[in-house]
Amino acid sequence: MADLKKLSEKTPENELKKHIGLKASRTIGNTLIYILLIIMTVIWLTPFVCIVLQSFRCESTYIVGYVIPQQWGLDNYKALFQTDFPIWYRNTLITALCVSVLQTVIVLCMSYTLSRFRFKLRKPLMKFMLVLGLFPGMLTMIILYRVLKDLGLTQANAVPGLILVYIASSGMGYYISKGFFDTLPKSLDEAARIDGATRAQVLTKIILPLAKPIVIYTILTAFMGPFGDFVFARYISMNTSKGMNVAVGLWSWLTPDQVQYKYTMFCAGGVLVAIPVTILFLCLQKYYVEGVTGGAVKG
Amino acid sequence: MASVKLTNVKKVYDNKVVAVHDFNLDIADKEFIVFVGPSGCGKSTTLRMIAGLEDISGGTVEIDGVVVNDLQPRDRDIAMVFQNYALYPHMTVYDNIAFSLRLRKMPEDEIYKRVTNAAEILGITDYLLRKPRALSGGQRQRVAIGRAMVRNAKVFLMDEPLSNLDAKLRNQMRAEIILLRKRLDTTFIYVTHDQTEAMTLGDRIVIMKDGYIMQVGTPTEVFERPANLFVAEFIGAPKMNTFKAELVKENGKYFVKAFGAKLPADGENGSLLAEKGVGSREVILGARPEHITLADGPAENAIETNLIVNEMMGSEVHLHVRTKDGTDLIVRVPTIQLSKEQRANLYSGATLYITFEDKVMYFFDPESQKNILFG
Amino acid sequence: MKLYSDLEYLKLSKGQKFLYNLRCFFAAIPRWFAKIGIAIGRFFKNLFLGIGRELKDIAMTFVHGDWKTKISYVVMGFGNIARGQILRGLLFLAFEAVFIFYMVTTGVNWLSKLPTLGTVGPHEEYDEILDAYTKVYGDDSFKILLYGVLTIFFIIAFIYTWRMNIKQNQTAEKILATGKPLKSGKDDLRSLVDDSFHKTLLALPLTGILIFTVMPIVFMILVAFTNYDGAHNGFSNNLFTWVGLENFKQLLSFSDGNKVYTAAFGEILTWTLIWAFFATFTNYFLGMFVAMMINKKGIKIKKFWRTVLVLTIAIPQFISLLYVSKMFAQNGIVNGFLKDLGWIKDPLPFWTDPTWARFTVIIVNIWIGIPYLMLIATGILMNIPADLYESAKIDGASGFQQYAHITLPYMLFVTGPYLLTSFTGNMNNFNVIYLLTGGGPDKAWASAAGGSPGQTDLLITWLFKVTTGAESKYYQASVIGIMVFVVMALITVVVYGLLPSNKNEEDFQ
Repeated sequence: MADLKKLSEKTPENELKKHIGLKASRTIGNTLIYILLIIMTVIWLTPFVCIVLQSFRCESTYIVGYVIPQQWGLDNYKALFQTDFPIWYRNTLITALCVSVLQTVIVLCMSYTLSRFRFKLRKPLMKFMLVLGLFPGMLTMIILYRVLKDLGLTQANAVPGLILVYIASSGMGYYISKGFFDTLPKSLDEAARIDGATRAQVLTKIILPLAKPIVIYTILTAFMGPFGDFVFARYISMNTSKGMNVAVGLWSWLTPDQVQYKYTMFCAGGVLVAIPVTILFLCLQKYYVEGVTGGAVKG
Repeated sequence: MASVKLTNVKKVYDNKVVAVHDFNLDIADKEFIVFVGPSGCGKSTTLRMIAGLEDISGGTVEIDGVVVNDLQPRDRDIAMVFQNYALYPHMTVYDNIAFSLRLRKMPEDEIYKRVTNAAEILGITDYLLRKPRALSGGQRQRVAIGRAMVRNAKVFLMDEPLSNLDAKLRNQMRAEIILLRKRLDTTFIYVTHDQTEAMTLGDRIVIMKDGYIMQVGTPTEVFERPANLFVAEFIGAPKMNTFKAELVKENGKYFVKAFGAKLPADGENGSLLAEKGVGSREVILGARPEHITLADGPAENAIETNLIVNEMMGSEVHLHVRTKDGTDLIVRVPTIQLSKEQRANLYSGATLYITFEDKVMYFFDPESQKNILFG
Repeated sequence: MKLYSDLEYLKLSKGQKFLYNLRCFFAAIPRWFAKIGIAIGRFFKNLFLGIGRELKDIAMTFVHGDWKTKISYVVMGFGNIARGQILRGLLFLAFEAVFIFYMVTTGVNWLSKLPTLGTVGPHEEYDEILDAYTKVYGDDSFKILLYGVLTIFFIIAFIYTWRMNIKQNQTAEKILATGKPLKSGKDDLRSLVDDSFHKTLLALPLTGILIFTVMPIVFMILVAFTNYDGAHNGFSNNLFTWVGLENFKQLLSFSDGNKVYTAAFGEILTWTLIWAFFATFTNYFLGMFVAMMINKKGIKIKKFWRTVLVLTIAIPQFISLLYVSKMFAQNGIVNGFLKDLGWIKDPLPFWTDPTWARFTVIIVNIWIGIPYLMLIATGILMNIPADLYESAKIDGASGFQQYAHITLPYMLFVTGPYLLTSFTGNMNNFNVIYLLTGGGPDKAWASAAGGSPGQTDLLITWLFKVTTGAESKYYQASVIGIMVFVVMALITVVVYGLLPSNKNEEDFQ
């Protein structure tokens, strides 16, 4: 009570001043934020702008200390088609398409089951997979490479081998979509069961239509995975150009002996890879955000 | 321990929706004021403007004579209990209650005294080290009240504090709030949608609808002399029966024609009507369910109805009846007034005869919906 | 020690409270260990009791069972067929046939060679037709180990199936005794989309995990106890064989010969942990900060700011990382730009100086990581009930106090598990390190440690290098992999024990 008294003495005179002060400090705060955000935007966009600009550079093919090309042209893009780049692109695209379909099916099976069914081995199974996940996945590559090689699925035939490797263990990545299924009320299932649906019908008729965001999220991440994966693809293609994906292929242009000749082509290739993936991503951004935030919160 | 004065307070949202129109109210020191009304009537918005959680679009709010429009909530010296309790989930009960005192840099031993004292009053001493999650709804409610209590704030705001409790607990907490009010002896502003809470708690009740004040008055006033049809229907349970009727003045005497019957409206109401000089006219007639009685059989002025639903409430029976012209009415009869045969006859479809008690009839203007006698 | 009642405890000053809690914590440690001990003991007790129960049950079923049941002990599925459950019976029978066929034709062979991993290496043999010595290949250690493991898996599966077969006979007898009919093959098939739908759904994913994850991991763990490497590839040059704990001894003993190896491991592990710590927490706090900036009331075009940041997620990492790596190169854009400004004369050693490189990696990772955290934090911040802030405002909290007392604790509670996975994920963040620095700059003294690790190599990139180099020390990769597992498991266990959100997962709901 004492302090309101104090305020009541002060306030009438200071009221106007205080009011302006409040507003002004808010404006200053927001201006600061805008400045920070603009700086961040510049930092975030610089590499992407640079890579696009450099892909049009014709005067030299190696790394230079400036950004704006002195001679513009499509030479780098034309040159791409003289190399194995189209093959890498096709490899990656095939892999990505197959993986996005198959992996989605597997992940949804896994996450739906673990979210909805209560069977004896559920908890042990989840714990077991948690432990499995602590092993570096790369370790399994050594043996998988040998086995795939015996099956003839490496090097020039790397694409089916790679698809197999990507999808086979994708059941381990059930976590985020399980989190989503957990948020769908169980009473929906129960109502459908009472209405006479079998478990399979519950999944196809009730849950899947409701799970559209997470399905799209899973497809999107599964599709983008092969575009970014480097280590497995490199292992399985084992220096055979015909079996590489874009990541490994373009990486090979940046090795010390190649970089002088292929640097600007790398930029051009990067732009060609990034454009469709980025457009796709930005179109489906909403679902991605839903998946990422939901998954993290469910943890 | 402060008066609160609202002058022409207005709330307009960004999308031009007006939530509160021109709200004027003087709240005296130590008064218990209840804002009541259906959801969306602006009662919570008004409270939040007093708290400083909403910007005030127009008019002034004064606490203790100081205009607080531009003060931060923390500078207004108010305490508030939220509908969902808003307990800090990561703090223990003790820390929750102590939070505001700590922010005000109060010495720890003083905090200890106040918190344990409040906890004792509220009966939550045993839970001081628990987290809110480990408490039941009623206990959480007590913690929320305790948090507001220790502040010794000038004004105590409560935003539907009981609506998340089950019926039994709600009754119990309501009684406790009355005791609390006696103990704290400060100004209370209480928001609820439940007219029972409003009637039992408030010194005065502010009944709101669509951002307008419908009536301000003591519980007795708003019950006995509702200013308009809305207040009349809102206060009282089961709600008042209202229907079109004709007021007839014959030889200085007033009658009401409804459902083919002609009922005398004499007694107090008759003289009041005469005082006001009301002539014959159409009215909306209001009759509370407890002011309709069952007649033994067909008689003069008795209205024939069909029983539709019979709700046995224990000490009383609520009879939903339908008149010949299809108007639904509710009749409330104390169970002990019913004889055995009468009770046996309360099946749906049974024919019942009802009469109105003339003293407690309300007359509303069909156009303005105002109470003709007290509007 | 003295235990306080609630009220006494609350009366203590902050320091005393802390000391009291600390004492309680340490006092609880012995109990904690005792609990673990009891749990382990109970596990084994239950295991042996369980096995005993199973054996007894098997014996009792045999004694009390009818002749159909008894025959099922040898001919799996006989009981099912005899009682009309043709489909089940045939499946059992087929499984038994396959198993026996496999064991007789190859299984026994692989199993018998498993203890030695092969005895006959590649050698020269006289070929009469060519009249010359030609190379002849003998055993293949790799295949022996692989098929040996597979055979053991198979045997376990067979025992389990055999037991199931017996149990089915038992239940069938019981059901028939009550006069009810048994489930037909049709019922069984129908239950695959209904009551046992989970089995149908899990069949494919779990098979994949079993073959492509579990089996390789078991195999690779076993490799850690062999000398499998480029020089002993098990087939075309030398066989490899069991060496016991030798590989672990090499890593953990500080003997002269292995000093470099041990030291390199220690240093890389330290850097891995430092990296994971900074990579996780810089992103976490900066991401939260950015999210709060963008979400602040009054900031316009929120969607634009978000989309700009999200670009780093949208564009495949290998492009952005490789490109950024070249931007910071000696002759790259960044150095060129700084030179043009006249701020520097010599290029900054972004990737050539160890400290610079480590620093730059963390900075670039912020560029990569903030957008994720921004998205996550945005989602969580929006979930914080508004009335908590309102209540705090009325309680008198300033903007910063609201952050410190509500936003931050809330975020930490909700994202506790996420922080853990993010930490372990960063420990294994192959892409960022390998594509940015390739592990470099060189760590000359450690080249003898195998795989020639660099200054910014994490355990995981080192592991990769170990397997791809000329030496291809698979056993060493396996040992490193196991160590990664051990470290991650330790962190997980400890953090899960301490994590508030684990104990109070519903606090914020």
